[in-house]
Amino acid sequence: MSIIRPRLNDYHNIPITQEEVDFAIPFVDEDIPLYVDPFLMWKSPSMQDNSLHLVVTNCFNNLGYLISKGKETDALEILIRASECDEVGLGNSKTKAGKRIGKKLAKKVLSQFTSIPQIIKNGFIHFEEIQLLVDNFSKDRVSDIACNFIQSFLVDYTIEQSEKYGIPIEPVKLENIYNSKTNSFGTEETHLPINPETKSPILLTPKRWLRHIPWINTDDYFNDYYIKSIHKEGDEFPDKIKLLEFNRQNYDIVQAYTAIKEKQFENCKNDPLFTQIPVTSVKRKVSTITKLPTGKTDNADRKFEDNICQLMASLLYPHLDFAKEQSRTDSGVLIRDLVFYNNTSVDFLREIYETYSCKQIVFELKNVTEVTRDHIFQLNRYLNEQFGKFGIIVCRKTPPKKIFKNTIDLWAGQRRCILILDDNDIKLMAQVFISKQRNPIEVIKKKYIEFIRSCPS
Amino acid sequence: MKQADINSFEKCQTQLEGLLSEITLLAKKSPNDGVNKFKLKFINEILFKANNVLGKAYKPLESFDVFDEDELPSNSDVTFIISQYLNCFEKLRADNIVMEQKYDGNKYVSEWYWVIGNEKSTIKTAPPKKIK
Repeated sequence: MSIIRPRLNDYHNIPITQEEVDFAIPFVDEDIPLYVDPFLMWKSPSMQDNSLHLVVTNCFNNLGYLISKGKETDALEILIRASECDEVGLGNSKTKAGKRIGKKLAKKVLSQFTSIPQIIKNGFIHFEEIQLLVDNFSKDRVSDIACNFIQSFLVDYTIEQSEKYGIPIEPVKLENIYNSKTNSFGTEETHLPINPETKSPILLTPKRWLRHIPWINTDDYFNDYYIKSIHKEGDEFPDKIKLLEFNRQNYDIVQAYTAIKEKQFENCKNDPLFTQIPVTSVKRKVSTITKLPTGKTDNADRKFEDNICQLMASLLYPHLDFAKEQSRTDSGVLIRDLVFYNNTSVDFLREIYETYSCKQIVFELKNVTEVTRDHIFQLNRYLNEQFGKFGIIVCRKTPPKKIFKNTIDLWAGQRRCILILDDNDIKLMAQVFISKQRNPIEVIKKKYIEFIRSCPS
Repeated sequence: MKQADINSFEKCQTQLEGLLSEITLLAKKSPNDGVNKFKLKFINEILFKANNVLGKAYKPLESFDVFDEDELPSNSDVTFIISQYLNCFEKLRADNIVMEQKYDGNKYVSEWYWVIGNEKSTIKTAPPKKIK
């Protein structure tokens, strides 16, 4: 499969957009750069999410119970097994295979259940506080532990969503599934989507639980709470180890911080998988682009590409999900492309999907005075290999008639469609994006219709 | 023209004038911005009626019937077309009205009436815009 940065749905030819589905669409060969924040489950208006948070908290506090009963080895084993959840594919890993925590770190985490009086008595309410008490316990651990403790729910959720969107599921054996009745890990045979490359099972996670960093985190605690409320002027700033030590000795301060964060829960929002640039930024980028000279003077080509890339990804969202920008060398010339997933979310996209087998749309960026036949042929060669028979060149000036004729000839001869957008089209896309009167994708549709009308019938 | 034609003429003309004033406001702010689909649908509805009222002889542009929403017409495109239509409406009206001069006991006053079936009707109208 030669799709660029393939996602699970692309692999199975299921045209869905990230915007319309409830879960984060997993990539086949890399992780989603977000984490499950248990605080989002706690603050959610849904009782189901609240109960799941309760399950996570109970399971975590159960570790303290085990320790108090002298079953430290059991607690250690559970914590270590819970510390990595590859099936959800969240984090920054390129390989999708994570490592569990070591015994040393696990012991440190569990020691909080015996050393802090408030925790001995009541346990945790937000177990992500561990980040403020133990070094090297990072956000991905919080996310993985939460996912492991509610894995059974995630399995049901994944099956439900897979059936809804027609994602194929296959029999799999989960080796590390937590049973909250027996409070132990076990195996379970079920049906889940699998990663087509590695054949490992995939769990889908609801978008509403995902954030880049947890709501309760060390940086926020230090910068927005410790420095403002606890730190005395003139005192030396503690290093991280000392700060964590201080927190362990003064757990009431951590509790006060958590209480403040709980009160501010309305500000805690899940992070979207893609954020559009604001209108002012769109205006700025368009004005930068139109003022740029053509060619390579003062790195104008690089600036043109950078600006177009950010602009297009935002303008075309949510109709097209941005896949990747990539560079390639063709006859010694470096060419930058933007690749979008074609989710067939509007009629025009469905047409190019069906007519030109266009599963991904490639935009080739050219900061040149005049598009030449060579540029057209470069993109044309590229279309052969991967992207179906539809491509777009973004250039600066309206192409001469002979070049437009050239694209028409390509259609007539090989049924390939190459559209050429120039500064005026980019301006119009930005204009309709700002005024919200029409969708920027309709500007491309307009170009396509103009192109098709010019084709011989 | 018949009485029914005059009614639909007047209705359509008023609607076109309303559209023109609304879209002119938008066009002054951002002439190249696309008109949204909601507005375009109703603009086309009124243009369709206008084409019927004008008939082939008075239709302003041979190659234009209504806007194609896929062509993303801009605010200034719409004002351009509607003013063409309004001019032709005026031409049609000017060709179908007559003036009558009456003495009101003090001075002569001119009044304009629609013509129905080659005869002056009792439906009053304004003087042609070109005649002041």
